[in-house]
Amino acid sequence: MDTLEDYKYTMELCNRCGQCKWVLGPKFKGYKYAEICPIYMRYGYNAYSGQGLINIAQELLEGKLTYEDGLIQLIYSCTTCGACDINCKSIRDMEVLDTILALRAKCVEDGWGPMPKHKDYAQLVSESHNIYGKPHGNRLQWVPKDIQLSEDSDTAYFTGCTTAYLFPDIALNTIKILKAADIDFKVLTDEYCCGALLWRTGQREVAKKLAEHNLEVLRVQGIRTLITSCAYCYGTFKGFYPRIAKVDFKVLHISEVVQKMLKEEKLKFNKSIKMKVTYHDPCLLGRLSEEYIPWTGKIKAFGYHDPPKKWRRGTYGVYDAPREVLRAIPDIQLIEMPRNEENSFCCGGGGGVPDAFPDLALWIARERLDEAKSTGAEAIVSCCPFCKLNLERAIKILNEEIRYYDLTDLIIRAL
Amino acid sequence: MGLPKNVYKMFEDIVGPEYISDREYILAAYRHPLPNMPQKPVSPEAIVLPGNTEEVQKIVQLCNKYKIKYIPIVSGAWFDAYPTQPGTIILDLKRMNKILEINEEDCYAVIEPGVRHGQLKTELMKRGLSYPVVCAGPACSVLTSFACFSGDHMMQWSSSRTNRYLLGAEWVLPTGEVLKVGSLGYGAGWFCPDGPGPSLRGLLKGYVGWGGRLGVVTKVAIGLDAWKCAEEIPFEGRSPSYRVRIQDCARIPGCFKTFIFKFPSLDNVRDAIIEIGKAEIGFAVLKFFYATAGLLMTESANEFWELWNSCLLQKEMALALWIYLATWSPEEMSYEERVLMDIIKETGGEPIDESLRLKWQESVDFFFLNSFVQRTARLGGGWMPLMLSADSVFHMFEAAKKIPEFLNDFIAKGLILKAPDNFQIVPMEYGHLAHIELIIFYDRNLPESQKIPIYVINKSLETQIKYGYHTHMPPGTGPGIEKLGSLYSNYHIWVTKIKKAFDPNEVSGL
Amino acid sequence: MDLKDRLAEIVGRDNIIDDPFLLESYAKDYSFVSGRAPSLVVYPQNKDQVQKIVRIANEIKMPIVPVSSGPPRFHGDTVPCKGGIIVDFSKMKRIIKIDPINRYVIIEPGVTYGELIPELRKHGLRLNIPLLPRASKSVVTSRLEREPVLIPKYQYDYLDPLLTLEVIFGTGDEFRTGSASGPGPLEILKADKVNPWGPGSIDFFRFLSGAQGTMGLVTWATIKVEVLPSLKNLYFIPVKSAREIVPPIDALLRKRVVDECLVLNNAFMAAILADNHVDYEKLRADLPPWVVLVCLAGYQRRPEERIAVMEKYLKEICTSIGVQAYTSLPGAEGRESRVLELLSNSWNKEPYWKLRFDGFCQDIFFLSPPSKVSKFVEIMNEVVTRFNYPKEEVRCYIQPMVQGRGYHCEFSLPYNIQQVEIVRRLFIVASEILIRDSAFFSRPYGLWAEMVYRQYPEGMRVLKKLKSIFDPNNILNPGKLCF
Repeated sequence: MDTLEDYKYTMELCNRCGQCKWVLGPKFKGYKYAEICPIYMRYGYNAYSGQGLINIAQELLEGKLTYEDGLIQLIYSCTTCGACDINCKSIRDMEVLDTILALRAKCVEDGWGPMPKHKDYAQLVSESHNIYGKPHGNRLQWVPKDIQLSEDSDTAYFTGCTTAYLFPDIALNTIKILKAADIDFKVLTDEYCCGALLWRTGQREVAKKLAEHNLEVLRVQGIRTLITSCAYCYGTFKGFYPRIAKVDFKVLHISEVVQKMLKEEKLKFNKSIKMKVTYHDPCLLGRLSEEYIPWTGKIKAFGYHDPPKKWRRGTYGVYDAPREVLRAIPDIQLIEMPRNEENSFCCGGGGGVPDAFPDLALWIARERLDEAKSTGAEAIVSCCPFCKLNLERAIKILNEEIRYYDLTDLIIRAL
Repeated sequence: MGLPKNVYKMFEDIVGPEYISDREYILAAYRHPLPNMPQKPVSPEAIVLPGNTEEVQKIVQLCNKYKIKYIPIVSGAWFDAYPTQPGTIILDLKRMNKILEINEEDCYAVIEPGVRHGQLKTELMKRGLSYPVVCAGPACSVLTSFACFSGDHMMQWSSSRTNRYLLGAEWVLPTGEVLKVGSLGYGAGWFCPDGPGPSLRGLLKGYVGWGGRLGVVTKVAIGLDAWKCAEEIPFEGRSPSYRVRIQDCARIPGCFKTFIFKFPSLDNVRDAIIEIGKAEIGFAVLKFFYATAGLLMTESANEFWELWNSCLLQKEMALALWIYLATWSPEEMSYEERVLMDIIKETGGEPIDESLRLKWQESVDFFFLNSFVQRTARLGGGWMPLMLSADSVFHMFEAAKKIPEFLNDFIAKGLILKAPDNFQIVPMEYGHLAHIELIIFYDRNLPESQKIPIYVINKSLETQIKYGYHTHMPPGTGPGIEKLGSLYSNYHIWVTKIKKAFDPNEVSGL
Repeated sequence: MDLKDRLAEIVGRDNIIDDPFLLESYAKDYSFVSGRAPSLVVYPQNKDQVQKIVRIANEIKMPIVPVSSGPPRFHGDTVPCKGGIIVDFSKMKRIIKIDPINRYVIIEPGVTYGELIPELRKHGLRLNIPLLPRASKSVVTSRLEREPVLIPKYQYDYLDPLLTLEVIFGTGDEFRTGSASGPGPLEILKADKVNPWGPGSIDFFRFLSGAQGTMGLVTWATIKVEVLPSLKNLYFIPVKSAREIVPPIDALLRKRVVDECLVLNNAFMAAILADNHVDYEKLRADLPPWVVLVCLAGYQRRPEERIAVMEKYLKEICTSIGVQAYTSLPGAEGRESRVLELLSNSWNKEPYWKLRFDGFCQDIFFLSPPSKVSKFVEIMNEVVTRFNYPKEEVRCYIQPMVQGRGYHCEFSLPYNIQQVEIVRRLFIVASEILIRDSAFFSRPYGLWAEMVYRQYPEGMRVLKKLKSIFDPNNILNPGKLCF
């Protein structure tokens, strides 16, 4: 797997243009909602940004910086939303997010990371294969007994920990949708946690073991198409698993499936939902959802990558599918937030931040909810249980009127 | 070294504990060298984030008392933002980020240092207004481009560089006094920078600003022009492949057009510019850098090399003139177009490859955002702008013709990219004067590569001096001024006196 | 050797005047500034002579008051406060270079509008001139003093069209500003010297502006010129009140429709057009209260087409605002070509138009943002009424500047000898009230200096610091401004 040394080029190339902290030029809509990095917004120091983190990474690597608690807290305050990465890549050939993730891995290797709460994940997944420490046997408890599912389909639904244990309705909705579309599929059995949070918190060895297990399960069960309704799982399958082994199955998000089914008229929305909504692009379904393609080569004179590298710049994330699905619902009104698509503003729920820094996660969520409210929307819709977890928590604590819906909630209502 | 504890506490009492830090991991993000810096910066002792002018004033007074150097920064995208001596603190002005006023009737906006180009430009466009947007990128500070730094931009043909648009200002002088410049001085508002009497605006900025070496500018008013294009321009595509459609740029259908013509020689380009200027037509007219143009047209270093190695840019854009027309009516557009074509015909111009021209027409970064500087470091980080002054269009072209004389040697030795025409001449005020800038690219993998820019700059300066060309504006302050000062009317003597008079404790800036 | 001998060694005896009657004429002008007669008037002919004079002045701490324009003078800036000598630049009259390709001219301070305007015309060029400068007015001084100019679309800031300068500072040091600074001496410098900014991070030329000669003595200046239109049409937009002045101008300037653009009230228009006093009274009665004057121009290429486009804009804008543009001047039909002539030239007759009918004139002028112009007109109206000065006599000139982002507001108060005291008190009270109500007296001549700097102590301190650098012995026009 990649190490921090592999990202020296990135670390050296930063020239403080500020793009990692501010929305991309075409995304500026005015004075407000112009910043993109949640921790830079919150704390104000350059260190709290993509630029800052890669500067820190270089100094740590060169022995100019020594570990201390404050440093670790800073490194782990980042939600790994990847806005800095995509924004930097809009104008440069750098790997900011991978550098940050490699930095976290180095902290773990050196015994300084992750945060105490993150260490729990590793403990819990080793015991029960999920990050909540709930019985592994209950993982598929949400599956209704009376539902008819395929035994030997090569299409499987991957539930994911957060959906399985915290929001089983999402899973239930998903399989109902798939059934309604007459898709032949199974619910993946013996799935372990996809490894997302372990990966994102630098606990890559643990994540790797989880991935290896899941890859084996998929291989054994002959799965060619994996469907998920969790953005985090989606982004991990696309962004982490190819670093472990060759991935020869297709990964689809339920929104992509529904989009296709609507086009092919295998699904139709018959019920009206009269509501103004805004759509929040989850990071790992949007800008960070392109497939990781390993590259080993040399960076030659004038930045030439030899052999040529296929870059993940966030261009081809899953942006359209959820929107087309929403727009197909009769009477729903979809209003965009200023920071959307590849410049979606983090919900605060990623990177282990809610567990390690709940106040920060709340602060970030408030910022996002404020933006959602500014559109006049009654509800914010997304496709990620982590986004749901953090945004709903914020809605409750802050006593907000705006509601949160998972996309599958609305699809089911409209069918 | 670190700040003494008691001094740290005094700063903390001013801004609050949240907004000062001397932790190494915080400092790490302020001392990391830019890829093209000739030498590594010294670490600052602390970072302080003031929230308003009063806090800045108190900080500066404290710095004077304890002889602590301070550098005010916003994004920190150039060398001025990095300490060169121990005992320096950085004032990160990020928190001072308000647009205080947009006065549509009197055509000015008042801003604090933390307001960024992306924010101000879009707010003004909604109101049918605009201002000189420099090419630093949407995330950079508007105030620094007006008061602290340089100030050229792609659309300055029909306006001017930021110097002309800097109006009243509020300024914490190096010793901590607050000075209001211009009409603001005795409460007559923001609209005029000059007076009463001799203009103190002259102290605030010359061709370039002080880069923080003469106090901290905390508010400025900037003049606004009517914006000839659409109030909101939708973009197509997703990062990094954004495009604009020409029909979306125009305020009135058909009233926005782009042209790029190539000419047989630099003299022809020059003559075309002079004639277009006399005719007073055009929204943007400039000879742009062709290699930098390639960076704006491609999305990776590899893609750039593909394009560069195809020699299309060299063939089409080495001697090319970019012309954007934007008018208030179709009749005016027809008139301007007819005059333009008369001139192009007379001066031997012909359209460049249409696919290239279309790329420019669609380019978000060139026309709308003016943000090419962000991309210049893509080729491995080794780049440097030089020359960077202004005089008549005629003189700039005369000087440009001598560029190969000093540049070819470096090219032959493989030290820099073979791009002798990678200079821009950006006229302003309908061709009354023009800014010249040469950008070189060098490979940072080469041994001692950080010295390459200095060699090139020195050779360039030698050549310009030899021929009596004014293409290098001497630096505002710093060690360079002693060496160059005698060539430039001994300006260094006056600068030194002024610096000493206003910053007796030598605490402001590098 | 006495002073006169030392100076004679520098400039030649013929270029020194010590006639008491002539010296006494410098002790006052048409302003309310009182001063002292100089001991000598010296006429240098080149920069070296100027430098030597300044060095002697430093040596013996002798005040120097620079003068470049011929009389009559109105602002008190050339009245010596503390005696000394007058350095009169009127013999430094070289038009050093006219460059039609790069559109600039380099001139010495003794070159006047009366000389330069026709000379430029021969080259197909024109200067952006103030309104009716006297023929003997120095162009360089006018630009240094930031006098308003008639074509706001050519002005990008308040120093425009002034570019670079050669100056002898009060220390006796020689300096060149902007791209004239170097590299190298003038003899080898090939730059056209049209970049006004710098060198480095100081705009030296701004310190010399509005300075009334207190920072340095300019020995030549580069000034922008423009293409002479091949076609020019003048229009008159009459309006009833000051409130109606700014909207049409604002709309026209935002679209760069017009060249010359200014506003005169009936009294002012009458004063410049009338042949005699009777004619003046009639014109003043017949003319509309205010007239906005605008010119449309066609240049060298397709001039008729340009005029047609601009005419359409003019019509549309006027219609949308509810005013009308006429080619004839209501109340003075038949005099349109005379007006155009006045806008394009200096005042070439004697006496100067301000003094033709009453003998004396006091101006109150300042800058205003567009939104406050009408307020300041109202304030002036109130004050003149309070002093029983006939409102209908006040000659008002409103000049948009810098693309219309600022306005020069000028109120000329003609008076006869019996009215001196009333006008003086009116002048003081009006100025105080206007300053208090945020009128920007950017050029604080005479009595205004104390009024203005009283409100701006920190600015005054900074100016004094600069003065101590550029003129440490305070020999240049001491007593002026805050020095």
